[in-house]
Amino acid sequence: MSEPLMEKPNAEANPTASTAGIVMDNRYLPPPQDGDGKIWVRTSALIQRSPEELYELWHDVESAPKWQEQIAQVTRTGEMTSHWVMRSGDSSIEWNSMILADEPGRRITWRSISGESNNAGEVIFEPAPGGRGTIVIVLQEFRLGKMAALWETMVGRNPKQAVIENLRHFKALAESGEIPRTQGQPHGDRGFVGGLKQSVYGEKIATPPGDSRIAS
Amino acid sequence: MKAVCWMGTGTMKTQTVPDPVLLNPHDAIVRITRTAICGSDLHLYDGFIPTMESGDIVGHEFMGIVEEVGPEVKNLQRGDRVVVPFTIACGNCLFCKKQLWSACDNTNPNAHLMEAAYGYSGSALFGYSHMMGGYAGGQAQYARVPFANVGPLKIENDLPDEKVLFLSDILPTGYMAAENAQIEEGDTVAVWGCGPVGQFTIASAFMLGAARVIAIDRLPERLALARKIGAITVDYSQDEADVLTAIKDLTGGTGPDSCIDAVGLEAHSTELQGIYDKVKTSVMLEQDRPIALRQAIQALRKGGTLSIPGVYGGLIDKVPFGAAFGKGITMKMGQTHMHRYMKPLLGRIEKGEIDPTYIISHRITLDEVPDMYKVWRDKQQNVTKIVIDPWAEKKAA
Repeated sequence: MSEPLMEKPNAEANPTASTAGIVMDNRYLPPPQDGDGKIWVRTSALIQRSPEELYELWHDVESAPKWQEQIAQVTRTGEMTSHWVMRSGDSSIEWNSMILADEPGRRITWRSISGESNNAGEVIFEPAPGGRGTIVIVLQEFRLGKMAALWETMVGRNPKQAVIENLRHFKALAESGEIPRTQGQPHGDRGFVGGLKQSVYGEKIATPPGDSRIAS
Repeated sequence: MKAVCWMGTGTMKTQTVPDPVLLNPHDAIVRITRTAICGSDLHLYDGFIPTMESGDIVGHEFMGIVEEVGPEVKNLQRGDRVVVPFTIACGNCLFCKKQLWSACDNTNPNAHLMEAAYGYSGSALFGYSHMMGGYAGGQAQYARVPFANVGPLKIENDLPDEKVLFLSDILPTGYMAAENAQIEEGDTVAVWGCGPVGQFTIASAFMLGAARVIAIDRLPERLALARKIGAITVDYSQDEADVLTAIKDLTGGTGPDSCIDAVGLEAHSTELQGIYDKVKTSVMLEQDRPIALRQAIQALRKGGTLSIPGVYGGLIDKVPFGAAFGKGITMKMGQTHMHRYMKPLLGRIEKGEIDPTYIISHRITLDEVPDMYKVWRDKQQNVTKIVIDPWAEKKAA
């Protein structure tokens, strides 16, 4: 059988079966829907670093507090396990997490195994078409219930947006060596409405500190 | 330090606030020696730009002396004289690498707000709403400049501040507007709006090879400046004046090769459609008043280029898209890719090809700024451009 289109000088092979479930047999797949007490978030970013470097950054769980909002401390407790502390103001929640799949330079999956958060996630590092950096795709799942509700109340961001913002911080840090911030800059009197707007815009959530040594 | 704060629609106040400090490794603190009020600051003053918070320090056209640099800023040191671009760019993302600096991915801490409105977030700006980053601006005595390793242009000549200050926004913005108009040698170009950006658009159109420039406004002092640099002016407020007829008359019935809307979202008009937009925006059915845009589309020749440096923020109504399609026009627009233009334009100033100070009408102190916003909005005192000396106690010379 002859091909209907032979002339495509720069075409690259399509992803075969992206594990974050974005493409299957050349068809785009929409993200999983919330339901059965689970909420899902899928988000992606195009980052000008290699998949290997980005994998290394993500895999270094103890440095997560540098770029993940309100993660106060992460301690490695074993080859594949770690202990996470999330803090907001005076309150905190803690859980243990375990890496399920670890494919260097390509993919990591994890889930919580005990504690006050019930979550699971996957991150994929794929070379972008045309050699234009790395597409990082995060798929994360939270089991709703008292914990997730508590999380949202405590954290002041819904968990979906937190995943999106964390990937944004990861990208900014990996590309530019810092996470953009305005907290701590001068301003005049905000008044009641100004303060309310700050909360609504998510400006009261502490921007993670970053670390310039991470930049290329 | 003293700084000009937005305290609600129609209210600017000069207040004493804490001095800025270094917050990130690529920051610098600049002691501001000259700053200015931009036409686009009026959109904040008039409440057209959402996500402003009371207490926001405004201003995005400034220059000064580097006071302090963060540990990762290697290209600047204390004492350097710099002009700061109004857009903030990281220098490393895909867009910065493509020289699309105002589309930088990594400088807006509130990117999610702009994503919700525009699909994706562009670069952050100084002093221009929280959707645009929420960074404190430059109508102040000091400013924190993020990504000082990428943005600020070092000035290593002895030209006075006023000659190089407008490299911070309006000169590059006017220049990019003319570049976006895809001017070819011998072209006729029509420019709506003869404010500061319009002036530098006209000047740049000539520098890029235009044979004739037609300039449209209603304010005599602005039209006079436009004639001073060689444009033919059309005063649309004259009783018998019809802009479309004027443009046809001046182009042999063909239309200009390029039209440039240097007016943006708060256009004024004496016509019925002006009233239509005013009513719709006042009851929130429309956000912007695209009168100049409509005219520019209508006036443009077949296959011509429309360039839009004028700021638009939201939704517009009754845009003659059929005319745009029917004539097969090209549209180019957007925030200025500042970092591309600052150095070459500094070169033109140094060579004496352009002296941007010709637009300045007022030189004031920080304390005078709140009142001057009203003067600027209402176009009193023949105002054409206001420059501020943030350290002058009384009226600056």
